[in-house]
Amino acid sequence: MQFEDLQVIWNSQHDRPLYGVDEAGLHQILRTNRVRFQRFLFWQHVQTYGSTLFVLTAIGAILIANSFGVADKIDSLRALAGWEVVALWVAMICWLQFAFAVYLGEKMRKRREQSNTHSLREDLEKEIRHTMYEIKARRNPLLGFIPPYLGAALFVLVVFGLTGISTWFFVVFVVGMVIALLMESRSQRQLAEQKMTHRLRDLEILQEKLVDPKS
Amino acid sequence: MKPDEQKRIFEEWLAEYRGLLFKVVRAYAFTLHDQDDLFQEIATQVWNSVPNYRGDCAVTTWIYRVALYAAMAWTKKEQRHRDNQQSMGSDDRPILQPSSHENPQLDWLYEQIAQLDGIDRSLTLLMLDGFSYREIAATMGISPNHVGVKLNRIKQRLAEQLKKVQENAI
Repeated sequence: MQFEDLQVIWNSQHDRPLYGVDEAGLHQILRTNRVRFQRFLFWQHVQTYGSTLFVLTAIGAILIANSFGVADKIDSLRALAGWEVVALWVAMICWLQFAFAVYLGEKMRKRREQSNTHSLREDLEKEIRHTMYEIKARRNPLLGFIPPYLGAALFVLVVFGLTGISTWFFVVFVVGMVIALLMESRSQRQLAEQKMTHRLRDLEILQEKLVDPKS
Repeated sequence: MKPDEQKRIFEEWLAEYRGLLFKVVRAYAFTLHDQDDLFQEIATQVWNSVPNYRGDCAVTTWIYRVALYAAMAWTKKEQRHRDNQQSMGSDDRPILQPSSHENPQLDWLYEQIAQLDGIDRSLTLLMLDGFSYREIAATMGISPNHVGVKLNRIKQRLAEQLKKVQENAI
């Protein structure tokens, strides 16, 4: 018996597929991954909407209290100056813009990805588009985060003024805010470049397994 | 390299050389879960390798090199993992399923290849896929003479095993 016989055996695999793809298994993996990813995004949205709600409630309470003249009844407080009322309104608009931009982006994404079929290929394609959207949304996060940070700074400036805390504390606070803004942007960019890019690549590899599973 | 370009090349390579990857997977991983895991690992390494390909060797050679090194690294990692774990229980279902076509002779050949050590396994795959000693040497980073010596021993061993099987069958 010659070694060439082994070559014949080896070459026999080129005529037929070695593997097929278990589409049900792939679909199950996809669903599990999607649930995990959506849970992660849910907590990100909770942070966005939660912080917006908190700031808007606080600003609203101050403005309402001011309009009802609550400050006149409490010795340690004073009425808001005109510029402070404007600053609080600007802060509210900044936070609303931030939350609305996130909401609108999500709504548009959902509309784009709306699909009535739930086949594996459709689901995979949908997940890839969703991940690409999340990566794109986080590629330049700095501009997106400026409004809420500006809003928070204005709000704190007014609160410090009302409570009589020194302006120097506000300067320290602003420096802290700038550092936090840079760190937040960096962390979102890293999230896009690492975690989400990995996810995108995994999805694309899964998609590749579906294309002509013959070996 | 732009991500779109990397993705296009990766898709082309995977479509064209899928069979090659499956051969490496089957030679280095023996359960469906492991084969699935190794395929994923190799595909990831092929993706990472796309920007590094400079065209100074054939794409087949490049992909074989990436796949074999990924498979050898995966084997070492898996071995360590298994040494540290008593149970390998997993509920995950493998994505790759063996084809319904039965080919006992091919199964036997893969079994024989699996009994070789890591580098000999790679050399055998490359030899059976028609690579020259020089190409194998370049892929594996050893001298062509060394490749020749090793492959002669492997050929002899495989031919003897085949002969035994055929004698027993008679």
